[in-house]
Amino acid sequence: MGYLSAAWTVASRDISRFWKYRFWLAGQLAMNLADVFIFALVFNNIVNKAYIPDYLKFMTPGVAAIATFAAAFSIGREVGVEIRREVTQYLLSLPMSRSAFVFGRILGGALRGMIYQVSFLVLAALIVNVPTTTKALYIALTTVMLTFSMSSLAIAISTSTKDFNLQATLRALTYYILFFLSNVFYPKEVLAMRFPPQILQIVINTPVSLASDIYRWGFGYYENVDAVSKILLLLIWSLTLTTLASLAYLRNLTKQ
Amino acid sequence: MEVAVKIRKLVKRFGNTVAVDSLDLDINEGEIFGLLGPNGSGKTTTLLIISTVYKPTSGEVYVYGHDVIREGDVVRKYVGIAFQEPKALWVDKPYELLLWHARVVGYSTSEAREVVKNVMEVLGLWEHRNKYFYQLSGGTRKKVEIAKVLIQKPKIAIFDEPTAQVDVISKHALWDAIRELRTQGSTVIIATNDMFEAERMCERIAIIYKGKLKALGTVEELKDSIPEGDIVELMLDGDENTYLRAEDLLKQYGKTVRSNDSLKIFLNKGEERAIEILDLLKSRGFKIRKIMVKEPSLDDVFFYMTGAKLKEG
Repeated sequence: MGYLSAAWTVASRDISRFWKYRFWLAGQLAMNLADVFIFALVFNNIVNKAYIPDYLKFMTPGVAAIATFAAAFSIGREVGVEIRREVTQYLLSLPMSRSAFVFGRILGGALRGMIYQVSFLVLAALIVNVPTTTKALYIALTTVMLTFSMSSLAIAISTSTKDFNLQATLRALTYYILFFLSNVFYPKEVLAMRFPPQILQIVINTPVSLASDIYRWGFGYYENVDAVSKILLLLIWSLTLTTLASLAYLRNLTKQ
Repeated sequence: MEVAVKIRKLVKRFGNTVAVDSLDLDINEGEIFGLLGPNGSGKTTTLLIISTVYKPTSGEVYVYGHDVIREGDVVRKYVGIAFQEPKALWVDKPYELLLWHARVVGYSTSEAREVVKNVMEVLGLWEHRNKYFYQLSGGTRKKVEIAKVLIQKPKIAIFDEPTAQVDVISKHALWDAIRELRTQGSTVIIATNDMFEAERMCERIAIIYKGKLKALGTVEELKDSIPEGDIVELMLDGDENTYLRAEDLLKQYGKTVRSNDSLKIFLNKGEERAIEILDLLKSRGFKIRKIMVKEPSLDDVFFYMTGAKLKEG
């Protein structure tokens, strides 16, 4: 079995399993939809219109960005369970290279993220605007990079310890750091009022913030965004996170 | 005869625990080889090293001449393993699981469907194909695990305690399937703590105890290797203390192995000595319930070679 076909076989297992967690998926979907239709609609009448003219349109692309986390992080949860039940031993014994296996897992997680996110991208197109072909390409690239980053990060965290509780805590902590230190809920102008300039620079350049801005631009909420710079920065984030997390995953898998 | 697996001075430590201690073994191509030992003796660890799941702490392991560390990718193409504990999550269903496994080991989709169905029918798994793993009995889960290797037909087929939790009828079906696998060209390695299984299935056996190789050979060779070829087994009226006293008294005749309700003495000319022993014990006031002279079984070989006591198990 060649490298790519081995990786794809591993990824296909993770994708087919994704549909088995129906109730978890339904709960996750409900939470993300609640962010859009309850949180955003309620806050639409509370926020300062000078900063956020339409909170629903501002928030929906941001929710599309964080939606990738939920699905991509589900692969981390599953990898954690596999370690605890020693299913990993079986996977490591299979006739394929370790790197193909690691790539397959990350690909599986990323594809889960993409599949899950599609409905939120459609929702953003309906609520904000339908993107042009070029902008749709930017949106797609952003999604690929974001889901790969998150999938590899979640997997690496889950293999860093055998303690299931600690795994869950670390995943949740990472999720909330990335979630709160972002511009998903507030634009840069509002964040600037709360954070010192140095912290602000970090917050607006995290992967989630970059993706949210590209989505907002792609769907036409923002007009003037340097999308090329942002996508390049996101590419650097993505390559760095995916490479480091893959190496950590490989090391954690084979350290015994 | 080509050596399929060569193990030299293999050591595996987990922290301060030595799981495998300077193990040397050659497993020949085409044989059914048994690793016999109690739980925690290092059998599973050895198998996991051969299948590249664990790395050795020191020493060398070669599969068809390929180093398990440097050439792991190549080694995994030769080896298939059925684990002691079935490896699946509760959301898995046997048919899906085995179909995926068949695809990974190189079957096309249509071939995979056919081979999976055949193997599932042979093992009596077909009716359970769409149940969730948590709905299956321990024995059925175990059969799913074995099915993976039967589907894969690897050059080196490893079974870790293949019939643990399996009922007696299925046990014979599994043994037949494993023998058939060997007929088709696989070298088979079975780790077991079941002496009957080892004696029935394996052409050569390595007795492993506390990570060390204690004996190696065919069943006959192992039985013959006990220098004192007969066993006098005694059952006495009394408690553990009685057996302790009797053991002290009878050590002069040969090596003794004591359990809670019997005492075995390994010696030569068993029938003649049994009468002497009987007289000696009577003269010292022991009450003898039963005395037997017999040839050693594989159990006896195990206890003789390892010096283990039954209470340890």
